[in-house]
Amino acid sequence: MGKKELYGRIVKEMGALRPLFGEAPNRWKKVDPSSIGEKKTLFGLCRACMQGDCATLVHMEDGIVVRVEGNPDAPPNWGTLCPKGNAEIMALYNPYRIKTPMIRTNPEKGLDVDPMWKEVTWDEALDYAAEGLRKIREKDPRGLIICKGWGQRDTIMRKPFGQAFGTPNETGSHGALCTVHFPTGLVQSGHPVAIVDLEYCQYHITLGRSLGPNFSSVPGMRRFARAIARGMKLIVVDPRSSYEASKGEWVPIRPGTDLAFLLSMAHVMLHEIKVFDVWFLKNRTNAPYLIDEKGEYIRDPETKKPMMWDTVENRAKPYNGEFKDIALSGTYNIQGMLCKTAFDLIKEEFEKYTPEWAEKITTVPPETVRRLAREFVEHARIGSTIEIDGFTFPFRPVSLNVERNVTNRRGGTYADLVGKIINMLVGNIEVPGGCLSCGFRGPIMGPTDEGTTTPRYEAVPRPFTFPPEHATLQEFYPHQHTAPHLVLNAILYPEKCYLPYRVEGWLSVGGNPIRQNAQPEKYVEGFKKLSFVVSIAFHMDEPAILSDVLLPEHSALERLRVASFHVQHQSIDNEVSGLKMIQLREPVPTLFNTRNADDIFMDLAERLGILYGEGGLYDYLNQDEDFVEKSDGLSLNGEWKLDLNRRYTLEEIFDRQIKGWPYSGGKGLKELREKGYIEYWKPKKEFYLYYYFPDNKTRHPMYFMELKRVGDRLRTNLLEHNISFPMIEDMDYVLNLYRPIPHWVESSEFRGPEEGYDLWAINWKTPYFACDSSNLTGNPWLAEVYTKDPWESVILINPATALRKGLKDGQMVVVESRYGRIEGRLKVSELFHPDAVGIGGGYGLGTCQSNPLNRMGPNFNALLSIDPITYDGVSAGQDTAPAVRVYGKEEAR
Amino acid sequence: MVIDLKRCAGCNSCTIACKAEKGTPPGVGYHRVEKYEVGRYPAARMGFRPIPCMHCKEPACLEVCPTGATYKRYDGLVLVDHNRCMGCRYCVLACPYGARHFIRRIENYYGHFGRTPYEILKQKNLDEGIAVKCDFCVERLERGRLPACVETCPAQARYFGDLDDPKSEVSNLIAKEHARKLKEEFGTEPSVYYIEG
Repeated sequence: MGKKELYGRIVKEMGALRPLFGEAPNRWKKVDPSSIGEKKTLFGLCRACMQGDCATLVHMEDGIVVRVEGNPDAPPNWGTLCPKGNAEIMALYNPYRIKTPMIRTNPEKGLDVDPMWKEVTWDEALDYAAEGLRKIREKDPRGLIICKGWGQRDTIMRKPFGQAFGTPNETGSHGALCTVHFPTGLVQSGHPVAIVDLEYCQYHITLGRSLGPNFSSVPGMRRFARAIARGMKLIVVDPRSSYEASKGEWVPIRPGTDLAFLLSMAHVMLHEIKVFDVWFLKNRTNAPYLIDEKGEYIRDPETKKPMMWDTVENRAKPYNGEFKDIALSGTYNIQGMLCKTAFDLIKEEFEKYTPEWAEKITTVPPETVRRLAREFVEHARIGSTIEIDGFTFPFRPVSLNVERNVTNRRGGTYADLVGKIINMLVGNIEVPGGCLSCGFRGPIMGPTDEGTTTPRYEAVPRPFTFPPEHATLQEFYPHQHTAPHLVLNAILYPEKCYLPYRVEGWLSVGGNPIRQNAQPEKYVEGFKKLSFVVSIAFHMDEPAILSDVLLPEHSALERLRVASFHVQHQSIDNEVSGLKMIQLREPVPTLFNTRNADDIFMDLAERLGILYGEGGLYDYLNQDEDFVEKSDGLSLNGEWKLDLNRRYTLEEIFDRQIKGWPYSGGKGLKELREKGYIEYWKPKKEFYLYYYFPDNKTRHPMYFMELKRVGDRLRTNLLEHNISFPMIEDMDYVLNLYRPIPHWVESSEFRGPEEGYDLWAINWKTPYFACDSSNLTGNPWLAEVYTKDPWESVILINPATALRKGLKDGQMVVVESRYGRIEGRLKVSELFHPDAVGIGGGYGLGTCQSNPLNRMGPNFNALLSIDPITYDGVSAGQDTAPAVRVYGKEEAR
Repeated sequence: MVIDLKRCAGCNSCTIACKAEKGTPPGVGYHRVEKYEVGRYPAARMGFRPIPCMHCKEPACLEVCPTGATYKRYDGLVLVDHNRCMGCRYCVLACPYGARHFIRRIENYYGHFGRTPYEILKQKNLDEGIAVKCDFCVERLERGRLPACVETCPAQARYFGDLDDPKSEVSNLIAKEHARKLKEEFGTEPSVYYIEG
């Protein structure tokens, strides 16, 4: 059966599920009679992808939503919108939504086990949920996991609810396969990632990430199309010729080997080209810092400051002294110790990583690496400047950026850090045309007392305690991103994880690690061990069907929302740089007996006695600050803080947030309703972080001393307690990733071929699937398109590989990793590296009560592992390119 | 209309915007994006071609229409008067671009759950047994807006304007970029031009 026939069959089979959902259409609330004959337009704010900032107009006729389209007058999308956003109507009018509160009556749990739901009133459901949560709290509040995810990014109460409850275990299902944050926090004090300045960039190398088109991110696509049209050269190093590679130069690479490619590119720059931004290296990095034989900074005995060598005075001085000329290279005898510059040590380490060495790992021809490195350096225009708003910046129109498909494996953090070194060699960090972080824009890149940029966000290590306080085991992975996989290990193997308490409960709000992380059967096993599961649920997804009580929430279009605009994650240009904005989503009338997740949180907190007073939800909400945008985000400021002893509506809280926003000019929700957004434009020069700490006012770390320090501390602590990392025998397997100079390490999947797993599976976001907000795979409009798309919901391999394995286009195949096994239809494609097995999007799995479309297609994540051996030891990111073998389905029998 | 394939990234926003604008039932769409592979590994890349109705100057669909349901408006739009269409499907066969659809039955997107309120409202003027197609969002044009596929395109790859005006943006683009028409050998003289990627 072909994809299209299967889709047709599924549409027909949807009817069989009807009894489970009652006579759904008849139970959709009747429209308000006063809206008959009325046409009106609401301001919308799209929530169909992680970015979630496209301004929309929601047109209504007779009380029915007839169209969601881009708002032509509003940034950042000015009327344009992606397929997901255009399809939001079908997420609203979706009979597979959970329409009323329900309580499980069947104690047996499973994805294919009918929970025998009992419909209840909101009061009954909230009482039941509060009672279950109270029991956990009385025993040990740490026993509750609160799991967020891309299914619900509109709540402002989740975090303060967890704090008031007393659990430190709030984590996201969405992050463990996207651990991309640490290096940018370390080198650029920024978050979440480093992006390219498409206003000026002339030569861009991108690896394992998207500039927008791969997942149809609208503002990203606008900038991408403009940059390509103006002639920017784009190099895409990837196992797949993606939407983006198709507009530039594709450099195919064996999956999971980007670290070797980057090391060899850095080698060529350091040992062959030898053209650097010397001024930048001497004045804006710690490359000239003197390092002793133990890898520590040589320090001035008096000031304790790290030292550099003055080649004119022929002596070492604290880095903040007056220098006639700073030595970038050289070996010196100081304080009776032989020491070298950090730059020389990095150069020495990288000497062995020749393109010929790398080719055996990556398959990228050495001449290609050499050409790319040369072109990168040539396009950097080292020494040039540009004036913006009267301020003179270094001008470096090149950038190399990496993300999840590079960082998510053992050594992935190193790959990102080597990328940073490549960028630093041409001096393009945080200057026009170059490599920019995309979080808060302001004076955050200031130096520590060692002169290097202050590590921020996830580069700030969490403290070590033993036994661990967190089920996320952040004590062992102090730079981890979100950690559902570690929580699952803590549930399944609490002793091995040294957890001093048991995880008893799970509160799901938009998070779905079962479908969106790894080894779903292990998650189901973990969920079965829990005594109480509550889902604030939109549809009958995997966590919902395993829940004891369902608290149904609004669809995205029904949620009132006021949000501050974040710098976008794919790229930037002048269309939005410098924009400070808050955006409004006016809710459409509700269809079912659902509630806003934040109202649910307030009701639960009130029942648990943790809403009011000091240490209550409102108290924590008062203290809350936007993690990324900091003081530029929406918070409760000054006179607008909540009174801790009275109940507020969500509208009142948003109104207070807006009034306290530094750029609102005293406006509130009433004024926000006038055009759907309030904007404030900062001068363009203030977007570039160089502006706040120019010249030698701060130094980006190139020798990663902070990483070494955290590793050293971890080693000391583990030895003190006579333990290793949970479920990892040899602590050096992790600690080798904490050396201050990146080096080649093998991922857990690297030697797969020796065990007969001779290919590597890869995954990417697609134009119809980005993060599964609003259950995109279940959206029938998108399904109609993705079932016809040649590269969606199939298993893709190169024709030469298919021939070698005797596999034919269209046949059913099995893809098997050492952790899981999936089946799907084979599609032979020239767009893939011969060692890659391509499986895009997030299809498959689903439950016996979910939209059958969710069960269709291969579930890539089932091939991944929760075993800590597969992680990058710094970020705790799981390997996203598992070694696999592929064979015809008949052979399996 | 001019479609710049150098900018188009194959996302299908146009296809879904069209669906949302028109409320077409399953299996019926006035717009599609053809996706294909170009070249061999390692020089392979994706190719895309969005296909709306070409609103031809010499429309094959109009020529074969026995009832006069298909007609050309003063401004060149090729439209269908649903009341006059008898469902013979000659036009579906005649169109070299596959831009015509015959609505055999109006199905629901959520199958047996029945039509959603949106579908009920949007499809009230849609009949079974008729031929349908893209009308360049004529009702949007009359409100001074552009076709949905043009306005929504995140890559800003689509341009819409007056081909008869040699100074219009579309005329300029066609001249400057040597934009081509599809299947010119059929002599239909399409009004949709492509800037090849």
